Amino acid sequence: MSIFCIGLNHKTAPVEIRERLAFAESQLPEQLEQIGELPAVAEVVILSTCNRVEIYGAAVESPAAALSEVQAYLVDHFDIADEAVEFYQQEGEAAAHHLFEVASGLDSMVLGETEIFGQVKKAYSTAHQSGATGRATNKLFQQSFTIGKLVRSNSAIQHGSTSIGSVAVDLAEKIFGDLKGSSVMIVGAGEMSRTTAQSMVSRGASSIIVSNRSYDKAVELAEELDGEALRFDDWEKALRKVDILISSTSAPHPIITRENLEPHMRRRRGRPLFLIDIAVPRDIADDVRQLDDAFPYNIDQLSEIAEAGKSKRLEQIAVCRELIAGHVGEKGIDALAQSSCSHQSPRQNSSTSSRQLPSKSS
Amino acid sequence: MDLTFLALSTAMFVAGVVYSVLMLRRGGDSTPGWGNLIIIGIGFLFQCGFLSERGQLHGRCPIMNGAEVLVFVAWSLAIMYFVLGRAFRLSLVGAFTAPILATLSLGALALSLMIPAQAKVADAIDPWLEMHAAMSLLAYGAFGFAAIAAIMYLVQNHLLKSGKPGSLAFKLPPIRYLTDALVRLLAIGLLLLTVGVVSALFREKMPDVYHLIIFGMVWIAYAVLLVYFFWRRPSVRWLALGALIAFALALITLTAIQN
Repeated sequence: MSIFCIGLNHKTAPVEIRERLAFAESQLPEQLEQIGELPAVAEVVILSTCNRVEIYGAAVESPAAALSEVQAYLVDHFDIADEAVEFYQQEGEAAAHHLFEVASGLDSMVLGETEIFGQVKKAYSTAHQSGATGRATNKLFQQSFTIGKLVRSNSAIQHGSTSIGSVAVDLAEKIFGDLKGSSVMIVGAGEMSRTTAQSMVSRGASSIIVSNRSYDKAVELAEELDGEALRFDDWEKALRKVDILISSTSAPHPIITRENLEPHMRRRRGRPLFLIDIAVPRDIADDVRQLDDAFPYNIDQLSEIAEAGKSKRLEQIAVCRELIAGHVGEKGIDALAQSSCSHQSPRQNSSTSSRQLPSKSS
Repeated sequence: MDLTFLALSTAMFVAGVVYSVLMLRRGGDSTPGWGNLIIIGIGFLFQCGFLSERGQLHGRCPIMNGAEVLVFVAWSLAIMYFVLGRAFRLSLVGAFTAPILATLSLGALALSLMIPAQAKVADAIDPWLEMHAAMSLLAYGAFGFAAIAAIMYLVQNHLLKSGKPGSLAFKLPPIRYLTDALVRLLAIGLLLLTVGVVSALFREKMPDVYHLIIFGMVWIAYAVLLVYFFWRRPSVRWLALGALIAFALALITLTAIQN
């Protein structure tokens, strides 16, 4: 088989290494050309994301020779000879299967995430436009797109939230529908409150109020989130106009109880209030749940939902692999490999000028 | 032939219930949305067949006995589902509508088997009577659909307040959409019933007092529910429970709709 893959990802290399090997988007056409000019390499696609750097290609003759040349190129290009960087290398069916799993989100840091599918498409598109692809990689990537779609539409791999921030956002959407125009109040300017509020803003929340015992810290976070700072003594007064309250103070006892929330809920005239308690010890008392239109969630409940989401996705891996195997069984990687083996490198057809590389695309 | 239509529509609605349960039990992202729309749509066509047959038999709007009234209410409920279910973005509403339709149709089928329809032809068609009947039954359809939205609200509210929402909560519509749908459906129902009640006053033959009292009570119950909600703004849970109780009372008074 002449298909090969070499690279590293979030499982095999720390971020310090991955960031050193990241390909700049603007330089990709040039680097595709350089790798494509290696004697043993016929076709090439570079997939460079924050979690992985992978080079897929088709070898002229021996994939081992191509892998060796590409690795030498990477070591030289990124000047990592002194670093203990370990690349994984795959050939033939293993390389194809790896790409199919990557495109399906099975190899992602957040299992089943969808962003990778777009990144694989973009990587292929860039290589195709640069003329670095050929018959083998064209077929391989087209198959990976088909499989990526097949897996996502026939399994539950992307269902459920897997992080506290995304669980909070999903719950907010189940209460309010659309977060556009909703207002968020942060009480206690912690890191987790910030990321949760940012998740809300990314889905359309428009107004952020930050209240903290240290007013300076509240101002700092409010500026960062393009919101408004509020003195800690005044946060209760603002309750009437907020939809989502994220609390993470270091108070030793609950600061929100049924007793102090009830008058505010009456004034809200039936508008729901989503209360997210990230603090330990908890900021929101258990009895708040008894109030109509109040939806309190604490850190354990959010974590539990996120863990359930992760478990469900993990259970889906086997289903996804079956889907991939089923599709490969129908189409056959071997057929693809055979066609690529018989494929003549565009370089062999072209003149010696590297500018002839675009003729590789079929 | 009319009973065949009724039996077929009942079978379709029961199939809708079975299909919904199977789809929801499958887990994952599977929802019975489009499948239910088709199944209820076919059941609705059979209902039209039944009502058409009975309309020809009576020579007027077919609400001459309990079975026909039940089918008419189910028919207007199905119309509300087709017209407003998607407009109000109520995902999974078909799964909640199918059991209500199946129950009403089974009731109608049982009554039809017990008491065969008689060719009771009206002497002359009174347009105000027809208007009164049609608007009142459409209002019952809207109130029935509001009751479905209320059940969905109560289920979603319970799931989200439990702290362990599960996959059903993520398939049900958001609390705010359900609230909006509930309030709008109650308002639509009240408006239709108002037209229905006012039409009754113009009938050639004045309706009996019992009939007027029953309709007046249903009208007052829904009016009080809505006015109190907008005036005092109690919780939506209160409104949802009120909509359920009011619809249960309205169904009990259905016998008054005959004639």
